[in-house]
Amino acid sequence: MKRQRLCVLWVALVLTLSGGSLRAAVPPIGGAPVEAPKAKTKAKAKAGSPPAAMPAARLESLRLALAGADDGAAIDAAAALGASGAAGARDPLVEILAAGATSVRAQAALDALGKLSEAHVLAKDQTTFDLLDLYAGHRAPEVRRRAIKVLGSIADARAVPTLMERLGDAAPDVRAAAAEALAARRDTKAAKRMFALLKLGDAGVAGPLAAIATPDLVPQIAELAGTIDDGIVATALGEYAKRTDVPDRLRVDVLRTIGRLSGAAATTALVEYVASVPAKDDRPSKHEAQKLLDQRGADQ
Amino acid sequence: MRTPPRSFAALVAVRAIGLFGAVGAVGAVGLSGCATSPFQRAGNADDVAAAVARSRPPAAPARSLVFLVLAGTGGPRLAAYDLAASKILWTQPTDVTTRVEAGGNVIVHGSKGTGPAGTVVGRDLETGNILWQRPMQPKERLFGYVVDGDAVFLVVQSSVAAGRPTGALFSLDARTGVERWHHELPSGRVAGPAARGGLVAVPLDSQYVLLFDGQSGLELGQVLSTEEAANFVRALPEGLFYGSRGLFLLGRSTAHGTRRSPGYLSARLPDFVRPVYWYDLYRPEQSEYSAIDRNRILWRVTVDGDRPQFRDGLAFVHDYRFFFAFDAGSGALRWAYGAPNSDAVASADTGHAIMFVTADGEIGGLDPITGARLYEAHLPGETVRGATFDAEGFAPVGAAAASKPPDMLTALTAIIADPDQRFPVLKLFAIEELGRQPGREVTAKLIDILQKEGLAPLAYQKAGEMLVARRDAGSLDLLTAALRAHADYAEKRPAPQVEVLARAVGALGPLGRALAPDLAAELRLPETSPAAAAEIARALVALGAQESLPALRDFLSLYRADSSYERDPTALVAAAEALLKLGGPNDRALLLYLAEEPHTATGLRTHLVRALGETAPRGAAPVPPTAAAKN
Repeated sequence: MKRQRLCVLWVALVLTLSGGSLRAAVPPIGGAPVEAPKAKTKAKAKAGSPPAAMPAARLESLRLALAGADDGAAIDAAAALGASGAAGARDPLVEILAAGATSVRAQAALDALGKLSEAHVLAKDQTTFDLLDLYAGHRAPEVRRRAIKVLGSIADARAVPTLMERLGDAAPDVRAAAAEALAARRDTKAAKRMFALLKLGDAGVAGPLAAIATPDLVPQIAELAGTIDDGIVATALGEYAKRTDVPDRLRVDVLRTIGRLSGAAATTALVEYVASVPAKDDRPSKHEAQKLLDQRGADQ
Repeated sequence: MRTPPRSFAALVAVRAIGLFGAVGAVGAVGLSGCATSPFQRAGNADDVAAAVARSRPPAAPARSLVFLVLAGTGGPRLAAYDLAASKILWTQPTDVTTRVEAGGNVIVHGSKGTGPAGTVVGRDLETGNILWQRPMQPKERLFGYVVDGDAVFLVVQSSVAAGRPTGALFSLDARTGVERWHHELPSGRVAGPAARGGLVAVPLDSQYVLLFDGQSGLELGQVLSTEEAANFVRALPEGLFYGSRGLFLLGRSTAHGTRRSPGYLSARLPDFVRPVYWYDLYRPEQSEYSAIDRNRILWRVTVDGDRPQFRDGLAFVHDYRFFFAFDAGSGALRWAYGAPNSDAVASADTGHAIMFVTADGEIGGLDPITGARLYEAHLPGETVRGATFDAEGFAPVGAAAASKPPDMLTALTAIIADPDQRFPVLKLFAIEELGRQPGREVTAKLIDILQKEGLAPLAYQKAGEMLVARRDAGSLDLLTAALRAHADYAEKRPAPQVEVLARAVGALGPLGRALAPDLAAELRLPETSPAAAAEIARALVALGAQESLPALRDFLSLYRADSSYERDPTALVAAAEALLKLGGPNDRALLLYLAEEPHTATGLRTHLVRALGETAPRGAAPVPPTAAAKN
């Protein structure tokens, strides 16, 4: 186990000295983890309180397990690091990814980084960013998807080109992850590419597109009815109607369009819309949705 | 009916009487009595030369006709079309089976008739009216016919119960169909005839051609072909020919035909060409209008003494919708032409034009030298099943003759892009020819082919080979653009053929160095296959692209433990080799680590142990990674 640790650190040193996307991926041998100071500050600020520190012995134990021979133990170690929310948890994960790992370990490490990101303890330093960017181009879709998910969670504009590029990924799950990340950023520049995907019947972008679509795009989405699965159109319009920034009059039109669509997805969109409106909110669109639901029920 | 002397020996006797008197004749007859083989004089040059000398070259016809076998809504018909006047002269309802043969004022063709063996029909050339019909007997099988002067010659095989089939050559009066004579052939293994100026040639037993006097039916000579089967005989104004994979000009030097004979000729042609110089006359089915009419070699010769040469040094290939002219000596492509809509069902070299008829009723003519369109006419709404040209010497004149020769690149590109899937080998040829042409636009077209969907795998392979072989350093921008056209599902754009492009860039060596960043970028894309990654690594070495070391390191780190490379670590090995060749001590140290780390793909580890050992600096053993870490 000792040797594994040394090897990982050694290769990190080599990479650091040699240059490349993964340089500075890990701390110098025997040194403390390197974090970008600004990023650390921001992470702390977001979390509202400084991340908990992990005991050094525990961290070392997980680090060794992550690089050890046992895949199961490595996956458990990654999960433990991700769940810890500890500031130092990121380093072993970055190390194992930088050194190269089996697909399952890489996935576990990326999932763990995702957890740290959710806990606002993942710094947006160059090393982490470069690493995630590299893994976003991995040949295995399941690895790419996870890398995209973490990359998307980092509030840094540098991630946008990669996310935009992965909107054109061959794997639907990767496209969906990129779309969700871009939608979460409210990146309206992505709407055009997402709409192109919707026209191809890509269900994974229906929700994300609805989140960033401008009103002028709504009729174009509605016009896709009949050319792609109506359920995808209904999902996109239903999600759009749920947005709080949409004028209620426009919502009514959108809901009527959904009402004209066939299939269970259209009914679901109307039901979900009604459910999304607070009980005390007596907006006309809610009545319209309910009326449309009643009509659909009567038609049945 | 008159039956001529049966055997060649008898003919010799007749001659001998004329030459030497009775004594000589007795001797000759005595000789014939000893003969056990009917082919004892096969290959006798004197006999053959004398027979050929009797042949009177036909006078040049003053007409330009094509006989069209029509189908479609108008029903089965036979029509005569005047090429010079661009009009149909006559049409007759009939179901033509075997090919039309034209003579002086008569045409002959096969028809279904009423009997099971079909009927031979003679028609008046001017009107198409039936002059006579000769139903084939149930035990008869027609192998072919030809019209020469005022006679029609038929070769027929007859089957008798429990016996070998026999063959016979018949002579009929062309206007009446009345039999003039018949000659029983010495073998039942017969083929269709050819006739020229009173000399009739009949292939027999694959290696013989028997020569007969058309007037009397006397056998005049026997040709023996020992190196190539004599599958066909063909009469042209320039001579009588026989052959199969090549052609022999009938004469003294080819009485015993070998490829060394001065009268032997064959064209050097690419692999896609079927070496069909004429119909296989031993196969009666080839006397019908069929695919054989659409896929064969068109040729004419000039004769100097007994040596034929391809006219203008060219041999033409008709391949369904396409026509090609090749330098018969070198095989170099001179021009290519593609009929735009449908197959050309028939074609002929008139000596001045390559004439053709397409299935949808287009009649065309091409300049043999340039491929320029010389003639064009259409038969709207017609379906043409087959055609026979009777237009020796026809040279189209007029406005159409001013058309431009076909552009080679355009023609080849059209062949490659043609959605018709029947011609995979032809497409490979077109790609190869395209690659041989000079110019940036060719590189661009080859790159386009690589991006085109729906071609056969071999077509992509051939396009790639040609692109790599070009080493076109003047088209770096085209290669860059191709590499940058990354796959994009949203834009329905497929991945570029990175593997081939990398090979093409690598083939440029240092001249392609500017493309190193684009190649290196491909290593980070998910659509880059392991095979492509391996080619990229090799190309980067060829370019001497040290600036690409970071991308190579990243690639190795990313995949060195990936189980998908366990079975085939070629790409990892190539990247490691690139690091070894382009990198420095730190890269050797990285590779040392990879060689020792147990998660590294086994094949890569094995390779690295060997490669690092072989390339270790003299006197400095590789430092183990553990030791490096302790320092």
